[in-house]
Amino acid sequence: MTRNVLIFVLVIQLIPCCMRENDPVGPEGPGDSLSRGVFIVNEGNFTFENASLTYYDIESGEATQDVFFSANGLPLGDVAVSMTIRDSLGYVVLNNSGKIYVLHTGSFALKGKITGLTSPRHVHFISDTKAYVTDLYARSIAVVNPLTMEVTGNIDVSNNQDEFGQHSTEQMIAYGGYVYTNCWSYDNQVLVIDSGTDRVVDSIEVIKQPNSMVMDRNHSLWVLSDGGWMGSPYGYETPGLVRVDAASAEVETILRFAEGDRPTSLRINETSDTIYFINRHVYRMSVDPVGEPVIFISSPYEEGFWGGFYGLQVDPVTSEVYVTDAIDFSQPGVVYRVAPDGQPLDTIRAGIVPGALCFTP
Amino acid sequence: MAAFQLSAQGIRDSIFHINGVEVTAIPLFEKEYAGMKMTRVDTAYLEGKATLSLSDLLSEHTSVFIKNYGRGALATASFRGSAPSHTQVLWNGIQLNSPMAGMVDFSLIPVYLIDQLTLFHGPSSLDNGGGGIGGAIHIQNAAHWEGPPSVRYIQGIGSYSTFDEFLQLGVGSGKWRVQTRLYHNYSKNDFTYVNTGIGNLDPVTGKISHPLEINENAAYRRYGVLQEIYYRPRANQVFSFKYWGQFADRSIPRPTSYEGPDHSNLNNQQDMDHRVVADWHHYGESGKWMARTGYARKNLDYNQQNLVPGLGLIPVVASRSIQQALYHTLAYTYNPASGFSVKGKMDVTLHDVSSQDSVSLTGYDQHRYEVAMLLSARKNLADRVNLNVMLRQDWIDGQRAPFSPYLGFDIKLIDGKELLLKGNLARNYHHPSLNDLYWQPGGNPGLVPEQGFTMETGLEYRVVLAGQLIRTEMTAYRSDIRHWIIWIPGFRGYWEPRNIERVRSTGLEYALHIQGHIGGFGYKLMGTYAYTRSVNYGDPLVWGDHSYGKQLVYIPLHSGNLMVRVSFREWYVTYQYNAYSERYTTTSNDLSGRYRLSPYFMNNLTAGWSIHLKRVDVNTELRVYNLFNESYHSILHRPMPGRNYSLVLMIKI
Repeated sequence: MTRNVLIFVLVIQLIPCCMRENDPVGPEGPGDSLSRGVFIVNEGNFTFENASLTYYDIESGEATQDVFFSANGLPLGDVAVSMTIRDSLGYVVLNNSGKIYVLHTGSFALKGKITGLTSPRHVHFISDTKAYVTDLYARSIAVVNPLTMEVTGNIDVSNNQDEFGQHSTEQMIAYGGYVYTNCWSYDNQVLVIDSGTDRVVDSIEVIKQPNSMVMDRNHSLWVLSDGGWMGSPYGYETPGLVRVDAASAEVETILRFAEGDRPTSLRINETSDTIYFINRHVYRMSVDPVGEPVIFISSPYEEGFWGGFYGLQVDPVTSEVYVTDAIDFSQPGVVYRVAPDGQPLDTIRAGIVPGALCFTP
Repeated sequence: MAAFQLSAQGIRDSIFHINGVEVTAIPLFEKEYAGMKMTRVDTAYLEGKATLSLSDLLSEHTSVFIKNYGRGALATASFRGSAPSHTQVLWNGIQLNSPMAGMVDFSLIPVYLIDQLTLFHGPSSLDNGGGGIGGAIHIQNAAHWEGPPSVRYIQGIGSYSTFDEFLQLGVGSGKWRVQTRLYHNYSKNDFTYVNTGIGNLDPVTGKISHPLEINENAAYRRYGVLQEIYYRPRANQVFSFKYWGQFADRSIPRPTSYEGPDHSNLNNQQDMDHRVVADWHHYGESGKWMARTGYARKNLDYNQQNLVPGLGLIPVVASRSIQQALYHTLAYTYNPASGFSVKGKMDVTLHDVSSQDSVSLTGYDQHRYEVAMLLSARKNLADRVNLNVMLRQDWIDGQRAPFSPYLGFDIKLIDGKELLLKGNLARNYHHPSLNDLYWQPGGNPGLVPEQGFTMETGLEYRVVLAGQLIRTEMTAYRSDIRHWIIWIPGFRGYWEPRNIERVRSTGLEYALHIQGHIGGFGYKLMGTYAYTRSVNYGDPLVWGDHSYGKQLVYIPLHSGNLMVRVSFREWYVTYQYNAYSERYTTTSNDLSGRYRLSPYFMNNLTAGWSIHLKRVDVNTELRVYNLFNESYHSILHRPMPGRNYSLVLMIKI
């Protein structure tokens, strides 16, 4: 019997029994080098907590994956939707983690976090001590103090409607003492907030589901709406581009796309006279004077089949265009870098679902 | 009576003598099962595991890979490297797969309710239904005709405020048998873990530490009843009626990285199930009739809520679905001569689904009408070869589904020995689920069925050697599945299902079972190993698509388990080991540590004491799960508990 017990013990000893989960690689960062870079914010999959940051050095063309995890031994979180840089700090909004991570843009080291946010989307700085954080579900915009990294107040945006139009605030653009924010999800409003009193003072009705906006050099606000989806209980509208005079908050022009199109990611170039957006392909259009949209980058995918291009950004210094492709949303995506004249410059491997891009100054 | 019941099912037991102890087992060489790879889970084993969920039992004991979202949370199965919807699950002949999502949550099925559990690997599932490209799992309840009125009670008390109570009563005469099972399971599930999803920054040193946290919002409760009534007016006829009702209420934990408000991002799921099935078996001299009718209704509620100051808890998802189904089956098996049988079977099934979200006001109401015909012929040749031909044709809403034929064989390699060479060649298909077709937005009514072409061969051997019963089986298979459905965001901005992938699944399954006695010690060893290579060969989307030729996500290349049980008089010790090789979470099989799950090795230990006092059997067990207190994940960033305990008391009268 002793022999059998021994064999049993031996068998158990032979089989591997210890799990080893992965450790971080170790910190590495651009440090204080003078070359400019861009953070590719890889959104990751909802609830998978696999968001990450890719850092791309614009001059050397070198991409470093997962810089936040490498530097801090900490996963970025769940659904990274946007990033904003102020001075040497980057504010990465983690939507389904309910927080914002603040990191040093040179070392990628975590410098703090702003927590207690319901479903945060974008950060906009009013001053060194005040910033707004828009939110998908909170029915308010959080007012935070970036120095203390605390929520100091809320701007109530709720209305008394039961179903739709609950003002899910998204991007923010400042003009004068006001901040304009588009309400994308099941909504058709751009809200105007007095950044002195932190109150909603006006609203502008636009086409259904305004997903992005830019301001041109004449202080006209261009708002891009996808119109919702056909069959939506909220209703569907032909998507379009609306020009609003920022000073008077009056709608000036409405340009319509074809029914069934789904334009997203409205961006503007360095001189604020040419806009770019995704509508399967990447389009470019002059806004001063107003021209016709023309295809700038063709989608490599079959017509109407794939999401294809997912995120878009224009380098505020060089006006080079970066467009992301999430491929099947389940593997590291790629980012195409294209010169203002349409010449392809580079193809960058990124993380899972690359979406937002944030340029260092 | 027991012999009647068994022969009534067309199965005659083999009896083995192991050191004076009689062991009964089902014969391997049966023409009805020629070429079919089946795993029958030992009834004694099922009884001992009564307090577990079927998901735990399958991963501990079979080659089915279970993807487990956490303790008590959603658990889906991958059979031979296939998708969760490719495993068909039947309870007393009626389908448990959700017509909406196509899959089964195995965490909702208590082992306690199972009297017989049989796995049909790959195309052997065609005998009882289509759609099981990976295989099928059959859960059966059976009458315990023999014996006086019986009572069985199980009480389990475990870590994390886990309480399991089961009560079973059985009464009957020679013609009637009434069996009732009641159960209740609850767990607060509040284990502590180091939350690596959160980093706290030390303001002085700048170092990041991970907090020790409690697994919040993860409680689950489940209670239900299983009522069985059997009536046997004559020796050759049995009527049965079974009702299974269950309510399950589960909170779903937030992401570990969540640092939002305390009362936001709260998720809860409630499943309310009612299933009724009645059947009739008639055993004639040369034929056997079976008729069955059943009804199932499931209410599935899913809510996500956020606290909005001044307004209270506001739902952002409030999904209610009602799934109903009617099942009818009529089958006749004709045995004109010994060594030959033919069977004809017809199933008519009606599914009705209503799914609505009261926040987004989206949803759908759809029904599906399925008719299936199966014709099979089984022939024994010279007592050495069994042949099995099955031809299956389904119609879905009047549309002809792909024809599914099966050809299987068993060859007895040595006369008088239970050494079989087995094999089969088959085609199977899986129809898109109602969500695939009609989900709003995104449902794609243009989807075509997924089609699988499979071939397999294997050896099965059973022998009594030096007083030990040894059973071993090895199978190699290859399955080509076309039109594999995946969900992916489309051009219109929402997720849509598409028939895009071609998947080739090749693998090897090995099982070993040894039992015997040495001196006063009894022992049992059961193990399985599976090599599963399930690879995407769909067209790459763009040049940057690195998913071509890669293993599907969350499917381990190597998986295995081992159970060793040693008993001495009334004492026993069971060691349970379970292992998976690394699993990828990206379709490109990205090797970076962040997207990959490390190999998994789980060790559980049970010590028990079992005594027989006059008419009462008492059994007490202490179970230790995660013996080495390992910190691990089964799904990216979903925490799992460390070492935990359970004390189980079983009383049988």
